[in-house]
Amino acid sequence: MPNYVMVVDQRRCVGCMACIAACKAENEVPPAHFRTRVIEKVEGKFPELRMEHRSELCMHCDNPPCVYNCPTRASYKDDETGMVLLDPDRCVGCKACIAACPYDVRYTNPKTGVVDKCTFCSHRVVAGQQPACATTCVGQSRIFGDLDDPNSDVSRALAKNPSETLLKSAGTEPRVFYINKFGTPK
Amino acid sequence: MEITVTGANALAFPNLLVWDWRVALYLFLGGLSAGLAVMASVLHIRKGGALAEGETARYMAPLYVPIILGIGMFFIFLDLSNKLNVYWFYLTIQPLSPMSWGSWGLLAFFPLSGLFALAVLPDEKLHWLQLPQLQSLARWLRTYLRPLCYANLGMGIFIGIYTGVLLSSLIARPLWNSSILPVLFLVSALSAGAALMIMVAKKKEVKLFFTQVDILLIAAEMTLLPLFFYGQYTSSAAHRASIMPFFAFSHEYLWYGAAIILVGVILPFAMIMKLIEIREGHSHELTKDALFKMNLSAVLVLLGSLIIRFAFVYAGQLSQFS
Repeated sequence: MPNYVMVVDQRRCVGCMACIAACKAENEVPPAHFRTRVIEKVEGKFPELRMEHRSELCMHCDNPPCVYNCPTRASYKDDETGMVLLDPDRCVGCKACIAACPYDVRYTNPKTGVVDKCTFCSHRVVAGQQPACATTCVGQSRIFGDLDDPNSDVSRALAKNPSETLLKSAGTEPRVFYINKFGTPK
Repeated sequence: MEITVTGANALAFPNLLVWDWRVALYLFLGGLSAGLAVMASVLHIRKGGALAEGETARYMAPLYVPIILGIGMFFIFLDLSNKLNVYWFYLTIQPLSPMSWGSWGLLAFFPLSGLFALAVLPDEKLHWLQLPQLQSLARWLRTYLRPLCYANLGMGIFIGIYTGVLLSSLIARPLWNSSILPVLFLVSALSAGAALMIMVAKKKEVKLFFTQVDILLIAAEMTLLPLFFYGQYTSSAAHRASIMPFFAFSHEYLWYGAAIILVGVILPFAMIMKLIEIREGHSHELTKDALFKMNLSAVLVLLGSLIIRFAFVYAGQLSQFS
């Protein structure tokens, strides 16, 4: 069984935002709503400045608070792929999952009233393709693959470089790893 | 530090706003109905039911419970963004989701409070029921009054706690993520229930008994509130930052500062009024002046409970784990 993860190599991100556009087009994300975002952070005092590009999305946590707080099991952890997915037919729109997510990556689809979020493009992955954001990434900053396969791009990237996850102390055990040139910002 | 976010959802940036006045009102009305259910049960249990004799609150208070709860449930229903799927609450049990416990708990509490209201209806009021079948059911239920009383009391406490657990289970919102919150909400719900009972009751002895109960509950609430803030202040940076809206006293957080000042004034004021009420030598029939003071202090308690729910629902969404 595959163990899908995403690695975001921040050193390679050029901030073109093509991942956001590709995600919106692929998943028909409604206007003014997003499944992924890019954060541009400038730190330090002139002239010692540094800029960080960080793309954020659903972390597909192994210990997902959104799944635990869902009263109808609309949010669930897929046993086969490890992805955190959502069954729109069961969602009542109580928004407990949105409030429970420490990464603030969920939203309510205004047309359907159903909560929505990144699915790692599961419909593409089952067809043997990469998520739309990873496919379109010009700098190959977004790397997707099976962590259990030692020859996969994600395994090699994580073996070569130190990586980190976001909000580690929340204990959510995210499946999105970040490779940062500067290390963890102070 | 300068941050630009491309692709931010307005629902979560710059801060979360998923639950609004409808949820706050539901938490208040749900808590109030739970508190009133507990107090109505206490009225029937106290002195083997002797306190309830000749008191209109013995059947009026249980009647208000399902009505208040129903209005509260209507508001939470309004908050659901996919209302047609609401039946899914009752096709699954999710043991880790407080909202799942709550929806099942409400399913038990709502009819139970209705049965309790039927069981305590006296003969002279049975004509309210119109249907002879309902009147027969009410008469039959009287034989089970004691078990119904205890079940109502237990479910009232459960619902009172659940309204706090609903918020406190969310690690992403540090203001809510405290184990004191469910206890604070329960005590606040019981206090509001006792206040409403004072307004509904007609007999002097009953009013004074629930005034004494409310004094203890307000004292507990006034102890829990500072303890809650102290716990948050001495916890992580995110927990400490989460209470700042209440104490910043700035233009940006005007309503939160006003809320904490109001609660800090209202609750002690209501308690002092109640302490005077129980020490005063009342005539056999309460005077208009005494009744006004009792109702005023009860309204203040209800207002304090409402402010706490609104302040916590909105301020919790300003707080972030990071």
